[in-house]
Amino acid sequence: MGAALAIDRLTKRYGQVLAVDDLSFEASRGRILGFLGPNGAGKTTTLRMALGLVRPTSGRISILGQEDASKVRARIGFLPEERGLYRRMTPVQAMTFLAGLKGVKTAQARRRAGELLDSHGLGEAKHRQIRRLSKGMAQKVQLLSALAHDPDLVILDEPFSGLDPVNQLSLETLIRSLATRGATVIFSTHVMQHAERLCDQVVLLAAGRKVFDGTVAAARKVAPRSVVLEGPFAGDVLSGLRGLNGLCVERLDGGTLRIVATLDPSVPAQIVLGEVFARGLPIDRFELREPNLHEAFILLTAARPDVGCAQ
Amino acid sequence: MTHVWKIAAREYAAYVQTLGFWLSILLLPVGFFVLAVAPTIVQRATPPPALAVVDFSARHLAPEIARAIRLETAGGAPPARLVPAPGAPFADAFDASRRLRPFLAGPSVVADGERLDVVAILRPAGGTVAVDIWSRQVADRSVAGLVSDAVDRAIRRQALARAGVDPAVVAAIDHVSASVTDFSPKAAQGKVALRDRLPGLVGLGMGFLLWMSVLTGAGMLLGSVIEEKSSRILEILLSSVAVWQIMAGKILGVAGVTATVLALWVTIAGVVVAVRYPSLGADLADILLARGLLFYFAVYFVGGYLMFATLYVTIGAFCESPREAQTLLGPMMILISVPLMFMGQALARPDSPVLTVLAFVPPFTPFMMVARVAADPPPWQIAATMALMAAATALEVWVAIPAFRSGALTSGRFDLRTFLAGLSRRLD
Repeated sequence: MGAALAIDRLTKRYGQVLAVDDLSFEASRGRILGFLGPNGAGKTTTLRMALGLVRPTSGRISILGQEDASKVRARIGFLPEERGLYRRMTPVQAMTFLAGLKGVKTAQARRRAGELLDSHGLGEAKHRQIRRLSKGMAQKVQLLSALAHDPDLVILDEPFSGLDPVNQLSLETLIRSLATRGATVIFSTHVMQHAERLCDQVVLLAAGRKVFDGTVAAARKVAPRSVVLEGPFAGDVLSGLRGLNGLCVERLDGGTLRIVATLDPSVPAQIVLGEVFARGLPIDRFELREPNLHEAFILLTAARPDVGCAQ
Repeated sequence: MTHVWKIAAREYAAYVQTLGFWLSILLLPVGFFVLAVAPTIVQRATPPPALAVVDFSARHLAPEIARAIRLETAGGAPPARLVPAPGAPFADAFDASRRLRPFLAGPSVVADGERLDVVAILRPAGGTVAVDIWSRQVADRSVAGLVSDAVDRAIRRQALARAGVDPAVVAAIDHVSASVTDFSPKAAQGKVALRDRLPGLVGLGMGFLLWMSVLTGAGMLLGSVIEEKSSRILEILLSSVAVWQIMAGKILGVAGVTATVLALWVTIAGVVVAVRYPSLGADLADILLARGLLFYFAVYFVGGYLMFATLYVTIGAFCESPREAQTLLGPMMILISVPLMFMGQALARPDSPVLTVLAFVPPFTPFMMVARVAADPPPWQIAATMALMAAATALEVWVAIPAFRSGALTSGRFDLRTFLAGLSRRLD
């Protein structure tokens, strides 16, 4: 079984601007892929090229086994970054219409829309005009509209933006359930926590180029671990301590300091702790902190070379 | 094609289900009715202007003016009402104008409690009569014209009488006029009747109808695409169906809305004509069907609508708000106003070289040809304009499809350079 989406040496140039540069990656079927990158990294352009909305300058795309996305449109669900729906339509009408464009028969689309809305707590609002729904409800309807035709591949461009924490959690559950059902989910985001919780695979993009492709665990390993020390000592007390770089000092209440430092990968944390004790430093806290995706993201996208002060 | 119908049906329902749509449909017939009865209502509600005549001419002209008012009244509302000049007698014309002027400028009333509207001061001037008209409403020349005509007639009769012509002869000559009959080889009976002029009038009417349809339909399309662009629904549609299907669906849907409006208006007009002028209704039906005009109208209607609808849909794809669209709508309005200025000429001079040339300019072709086709232009002109219109529309659609996609995916404010780049996308 081939990849749901295979992108090979894809490049998109707008005049002098290189939006996507020699990008290659694959999204396996039935998996959740996080497409990460800072604003302007080329995520939306890549997704649009995958959907056949924008023609690549060079490179190849295979989506659900086809090089021409128009042949598999009916099997793809898409939610664009900025979104809205027909304000005077009801959720059922809007979902039925959009599912109808994906080839679902009207009666079936209407039934499926009703079921989806009921199961996501929008049963009471399903016959109300969308303009009369709250923003959160309308966003949920928009998302469900992309799913009403049971797509094999779901592409969500920044799906979490604008959602409150409760709806973000609800969306995470929905994305997991789609993957459980066997659908492939590709979503772009620059909020790493969602990707960290959801993704089997992440692809990081910076300035149009791929800077990472792999699992979340592998991405985390790209960033160095850090050490947190707290205690009533002077700010320069750790200078010269082996294995610690990029010290970041923060003054806490009661005259204590918190020092966060990047740990040299070649130096075990026990060595650092041993030296601290050897110097007789009055420490209240020593913590070895594993890197998170956010730190890896910052490092990989070169947004900030030193992640020592990251919290 | 199913997708086109689905988009068209949604577009159609979106308009037809609104109260505003039905109100706007009814507004036009109501507007026409009001337009027809408004002058009568205004005339009935407004008393005839009060006219005071001060005659220094010594020619006894005031009774002539009174007679003219009586003749003009003829059972209807009188054009003016004679009242005595307040403060008469006057020393001379200057005295009269000086003393009567305040009655015309302010709220002062004449003796019987009414306002004075017009004063006509007649005075001798080098063997003839000068008429000074003082009016409250400077724009209303109706009473001045009536007085002037009455005085002209009277002094001519007096001059003829002084020259020894019998007044009875003068009165008889006044009624002499030529009997003019219009003939034309194009008239069915040789003699030109209303029925022979009807095709030209119908063509002109259809031209205006097409113009209105294009304007309203294009406006609807523009609004609809802008709404979908600003809410990013267009992007969802683009990921679901082909660009041509979106464009065709929207154009078809709004065409359905326009057709519904036209059908309702034509039905209302048909009922009115059938009830009030049954023979005219039969003539109209005969003209449209027997001479193939209906076919020509249909072809030019479809071509014209498609041409402008495609253009407006493409413009809409580049705009996030109607205000942004105004940048291009200004030149568009100038373009679409050109045939409006020339269509009327087609009634009298359908073969004019200017109109013929304009008929071959694709954006004007539908309007100019609809207005001219009833005058039987050479068949090659009909064939050539149709072919040119079809080719221009096909070229426009060919350029518009990638431009629409490009516009739909752009964000930010409308930019003319981006729009032109979008139009040239096909040429990349």
